[in-house]
Amino acid sequence: MRPLLVEPGLRRTGPLRLYLRSRALPGALAALVCTAAFGAGAARWLVSLPDFDHTARLPVVVFGPLLATAAIGTSLYAPCDELDRTAVRAWWPRRLVHLLAPTALAAVLFALAVPGHTEAFGPPAAVRNTLGLTGVTAGAAALVGARLSWLPPAFFVGTVYLAAPSRPEGAAQWWAWVMQPGPGTGAWTVALGAFVAGSVLYAWRGARRTTAES
Amino acid sequence: MNPSTAVAVTGLTVRHRRTVALDRLDLSLGPGVHGLLGPNGAGKTSLIRVLATVAAPFSGRVELLGGDATSHRERTGIRRRLGYLPQEFGYYPGFTVREFVAYVAWLKEMPSDRVPAAVERAVRRVGLGDRIDAKMKTLSGGMVRRAGIAQAVVNEPELLLLDEPTAGLDPEQRVDFRSLLRELGTGATVVVSTHLVEDVAAACTEVALIEGGRLAFQGTTGELTALGGVSTEGNDSTTHAVERGYTAALRAHRTSAENAREALR
Repeated sequence: MRPLLVEPGLRRTGPLRLYLRSRALPGALAALVCTAAFGAGAARWLVSLPDFDHTARLPVVVFGPLLATAAIGTSLYAPCDELDRTAVRAWWPRRLVHLLAPTALAAVLFALAVPGHTEAFGPPAAVRNTLGLTGVTAGAAALVGARLSWLPPAFFVGTVYLAAPSRPEGAAQWWAWVMQPGPGTGAWTVALGAFVAGSVLYAWRGARRTTAES
Repeated sequence: MNPSTAVAVTGLTVRHRRTVALDRLDLSLGPGVHGLLGPNGAGKTSLIRVLATVAAPFSGRVELLGGDATSHRERTGIRRRLGYLPQEFGYYPGFTVREFVAYVAWLKEMPSDRVPAAVERAVRRVGLGDRIDAKMKTLSGGMVRRAGIAQAVVNEPELLLLDEPTAGLDPEQRVDFRSLLRELGTGATVVVSTHLVEDVAAACTEVALIEGGRLAFQGTTGELTALGGVSTEGNDSTTHAVERGYTAALRAHRTSAENAREALR
């Protein structure tokens, strides 16, 4: 039998592990995987319903990424912001990795959750929505704080889902980008624009501090 | 700049939107324990936050440990040698004391092989050795504050900034803390912002008094005490004497500030 570790604290205080725990990232990643698994199940079930075809996967392609980015957004909360500001190294590279790594995972998981039919609501649409909504959420974290960062994208998606015309044309291609089929250039342009702008804003400013500042 | 001067601030102005928190402040501090006194809203926290490099000044020059704090490159080196206890500091509630202090050691980029021993030493120094593996959320207010002091000293800082460190400590812990302060002050420059005059009387060798964003008095604790004169009351204590000195210095500063304003009219 191997002897017990002499210093149990040694293993628990690895920097990466401490960082991940301080942001409650294990929970956020678990939520992300569960959302994708639930999305995959829901997509299969919707398609299997009588009179429904693959286009019935639209709610999964819209609301799945929304839930996943909400999990990522709330993990951007820094509990000891004032101490973090005294860090020797600049924060922006860590912030970018923190944002992009889970986003990449979410994009892959949702692409796998809705396989096939790339011309409609398949992997391209899921990836586009994950990237675009990540951008909106990250921007919201920088502007209103990480804990409420899910609210602006939820409001946006909810409104668009109710208001978008059934056959989006003209301006709706742009403002209702989350509802567009996979290949639409306009929707991709808006989503990528939101992704880059939101990520850069968050990496530069960090999540807005929401505790009282004296 | 004198090489032993850890803090050299000239013309420091800090603004919060339209209000001026610090108004062209000049201050220079060397090794020892410095009490930063002043009424509420005088600008103590604003000064500490600039010295901790977490807030940027509106204007003025801030030199810390021989480096320019406004230069990005030099700030990196300064931060390794800096300890900071904010007035309010958040923590991840699931962290143990050991993990919380190790997290800050990581922020300070301490060599990883030195971290476990440094963390244990810092936690022992604040008297939390028996609670080192307790979760932060299970600690009392005083214990959280002591964990805060432990994170501030984990990297053996040359400049230690403590904003209201004794708030929430009981009298016995305060006595222990003051002896820790004296110990730290032998090698480092320690700045303690407080509104408790007894902290200054017991642990500080020098005092800087701030009022309305300006320096009202700077000198030794003895000099501040002397400003108060001799008490007519029978049972006078050191604390009372420092309090009288504090009040006298504050009033003298207010009078001179008013006279200066009058002269300008």
